[in-house]
Amino acid sequence: MNEKQKRIRNFSIIAHIDHGKSTLADRILEYSNAVSKREMEEQLLDNMDLERERGITIKARAVRIDYKHKDGNDYVLNLIDTPGHVDFNYEVSRSLNACEGALLVVDATQGIEAQTLANAYLAVDCDLEIVPVINKIDLPSADIDRVRNEIEDVIGIVAEDCPAVSAKVGLNIDQVLDAIVEKIPCPQGDENAPLKCLIFDSHYNSYLGVVVYVRVIDGTLKAGDKIRLMNTGAKYEVVEVGHLSAFGLEKADSISAGEVGYITASIKTVSETRVGDTVTNDENPTSEPLKGFKEALPMVFSGIYPADGARYNDLRDALEKLKLNDAALSFEPETSIALGFGFRCGFLGLLHMEIIQERLEREFNLDLITTAPSVIYKIEKTNGETIFVDNPSNYPSPDTISVAYEPTVKTSIITPTEFVGGIMDLCQDRRGTFKDMKYLDSQRVELHYIMPLNEIVYDFFDALKSRSKGYASLDYELAGYEPSNLVKLDFLLNGEIVDALTFIVHSEKAYARARKIAEKLKDNISRQLFEIPIQAAIGSKVIARETVRALRKDVLAKCYGGDITRKKKLLEKQKEGKKKMRRLGSVEVTPEAFMAVLKLDDSEK
Amino acid sequence: MKSLGLYIHIPFCEKKCNYCDFYSKEGNDEDLKSKYVDALCLQIEREAELYKNHIIDTIFFGGGTPSLISSRDMEKLMLSIKKWLSVDENAEISIEINPKTVDFEKLTTYKKIGINRISIGLQSTDDEMLRCLGRIHTYSDFLSTYKMVREANFDNVSVDLMYGLPSQTEKMLLDTLSKVLCLDIEHISAYLLKIEEKTYFGKIKDKLSLPDDDTEYEMYIKMCELLEENGYNQYEISNFSKAGKRSRHNLKYWKSEEYIGLGPNAHSYFDKRRYSYKADTVAYINELLKGDLPEKISEEQVECISEMDEYVMLKLRLSDGIELCEFEESFGTELINKYPSIMKYVNSGHMKLENGKCYFTRQGFFVSNYILSDIL
Repeated sequence: MNEKQKRIRNFSIIAHIDHGKSTLADRILEYSNAVSKREMEEQLLDNMDLERERGITIKARAVRIDYKHKDGNDYVLNLIDTPGHVDFNYEVSRSLNACEGALLVVDATQGIEAQTLANAYLAVDCDLEIVPVINKIDLPSADIDRVRNEIEDVIGIVAEDCPAVSAKVGLNIDQVLDAIVEKIPCPQGDENAPLKCLIFDSHYNSYLGVVVYVRVIDGTLKAGDKIRLMNTGAKYEVVEVGHLSAFGLEKADSISAGEVGYITASIKTVSETRVGDTVTNDENPTSEPLKGFKEALPMVFSGIYPADGARYNDLRDALEKLKLNDAALSFEPETSIALGFGFRCGFLGLLHMEIIQERLEREFNLDLITTAPSVIYKIEKTNGETIFVDNPSNYPSPDTISVAYEPTVKTSIITPTEFVGGIMDLCQDRRGTFKDMKYLDSQRVELHYIMPLNEIVYDFFDALKSRSKGYASLDYELAGYEPSNLVKLDFLLNGEIVDALTFIVHSEKAYARARKIAEKLKDNISRQLFEIPIQAAIGSKVIARETVRALRKDVLAKCYGGDITRKKKLLEKQKEGKKKMRRLGSVEVTPEAFMAVLKLDDSEK
Repeated sequence: MKSLGLYIHIPFCEKKCNYCDFYSKEGNDEDLKSKYVDALCLQIEREAELYKNHIIDTIFFGGGTPSLISSRDMEKLMLSIKKWLSVDENAEISIEINPKTVDFEKLTTYKKIGINRISIGLQSTDDEMLRCLGRIHTYSDFLSTYKMVREANFDNVSVDLMYGLPSQTEKMLLDTLSKVLCLDIEHISAYLLKIEEKTYFGKIKDKLSLPDDDTEYEMYIKMCELLEENGYNQYEISNFSKAGKRSRHNLKYWKSEEYIGLGPNAHSYFDKRRYSYKADTVAYINELLKGDLPEKISEEQVECISEMDEYVMLKLRLSDGIELCEFEESFGTELINKYPSIMKYVNSGHMKLENGKCYFTRQGFFVSNYILSDIL
């Protein structure tokens, strides 16, 4: 191994949300002079507005830091940032695979949370050297010893001499850098072996095409090389290689074993460069691709429609632009009788869905109507065929179904003990199957449930937070399909089915949900000139009914004194409101009413 | 000669009513009132040239409370109008009065200067309700004023009523109506209470227990039926009259005919332009006194399409609605071609299309905003 490789440290920072991962990353960059304070935007690694606002990192980024250690040598530290949320677990695991070590940041006031554990287990699975870092020690409620013990007891790693820091005020950051150099091993790998690189991220740049972020495991790569992506089989000629500085791409002659860098090769979309795929030299390929590649598959689906039907094309353009940088986002055109033309979109999870919706609204100025999130149901039909249904409207009629299956998830919840009762009730109510319960210490418990994903995608996370005063944390992973007694619940306005309001629910929950939604419809549909019956039905059987009474008063009784302008303005305002209405058969509904009905809030519980 | 309506706004009240958002100043500043009348006279003189080809066939003194102007000032004002403008000898000349603000002497002055129609603000015959509305009079005050009006030989009298009032029941409304019917008055206006943001009611609206929409609808239909049974013809959403006693002045508003309004916050429709004056009495007086004309605000040129919309919106307030041939003659297109969704409401029974006319049914009147916002 050459000297250069010996002085490389590749590491990630992992943490539960809000434990200060991004702030620590900023301080590390600042301390090692990768960026000066003046130049640094707050939280440089999170360079999407939304990420900064939500305090979460959505997409991985990487940055190279030059650091002079007290042993007198210059080291190259590659920080590979990871997304911090359960929806992006697969991407996290790929980022970790590009490293030899990970800083596990734990909030000194909170201790270990569900995602701390989930991420720590992922890091252990990747054989990483874990360096715990206790953060937020400037806060009065910080309890360093308790957290140290917790790390040792729960995760089983030595935390005795781990750095205790305050990223916010910049305290003890040098200890973190020293620990990276001293504890994390240098990368193995042979620069003379056939090329083998791991793709851990990519993003689309309108000048360069797709910029692929890689960790070189073996071999050397330079401009002009013919490369092959081993899982997709796609071939390209390398245009440029280089390193990732805090300020962007830094072109280099070559990158080799142990290094982190980027490749450009006139690649058009990020869906060609799947995270986890192996890059090799097409003429001198490595024998085996890296293990663990899988395509990120959407788990949660929702119909997205422009509130103004005329903006359908704008919505499509916006989705295409987002897709350039987000291989996990899927969408295809869909038509709803109620909502017109739109798209059925697939997401990794609820957070991913919210982020996409928010970006569409914020960055592309679109007003959206989104249908309730749905999961993919697996249905074995009586004719022997098996189908997957991601849109409730397409759910087949009961007499053609032999067995219906719904996806389940393995759920891990960490909560202070005082909330265990309430949370167990909640899980029970959401059709969870209790697995086990583990005391992490005298105050905190980890609960395991198998739960239908369909129950999680509604408002489980909000319900969990409200039942634990915000303290409980959640992590989940797919646990396969289970047979289930599902029914399709339709809603009819004035006798016509509103497709956008069709739900798939467990039969035991159908009545309660039917009543709730019928009531909400009644409260949110404004009165019209005729009476509007609202019905909830399973097949042809009506299980709930409400009525919106006819409008009888909407008049300007006094039009007098010749002030016609005022009346005209009033009518114009009313006309504006009318324009935004969606016609559902003979009934007009405002987009707001739709959203109010689709949004399941606390009253649903 | 083209005919023209003249509206004169009298922006003074002894006390503002709790529901009213028309522009007026509270108090009894006699000097200000006289100055205001002088200012009006000045404006009439200065603008007379503009109206030299018009003949005034309706005059309406509205308010505020026009009956707060002294007899002397009323004479002066009318003299100025007749001096500078040509007033038709059969003109309808109306004044709004409130009980307790006129005496017999003032009424004889009105008669003398040519006023031939008196509109009295009654609102309700229930004294408790009158107090709740912030009126300064009782029902018996109204009765004595009404008696004086008849003694002064006015044969064209109107009363204003209100319904949909706080805590009002259908029975209470019918009680007011039956008392008023006994008086055999020529004209009745009955307005649904609308809570306006800037009024006292607007401020306390959450505390008012107003009848719900369905009750108000029932009140309206019952009221219309009762008045009709008693010989009143409903000629507009809120207006009812004995034969030949419709308010010719108010009809001008609804028939898109020309009128000019003088005074702060008075509105005009003249030469296809709609405008009004700023709601500020002192500024109004000052500008006229220093030799200028009051500042016009919200001036709007009524273009062709909006003229058509306006015509439909206003005409449909009338029970006679729109005459199809008149519409076609004025705009060169058929009403139904231009506004096809009318048919929807004909089918639902909210409108009628017969005898060459298109008009709202009673049920339609009460949801006319909803329908207009759809068909226009």
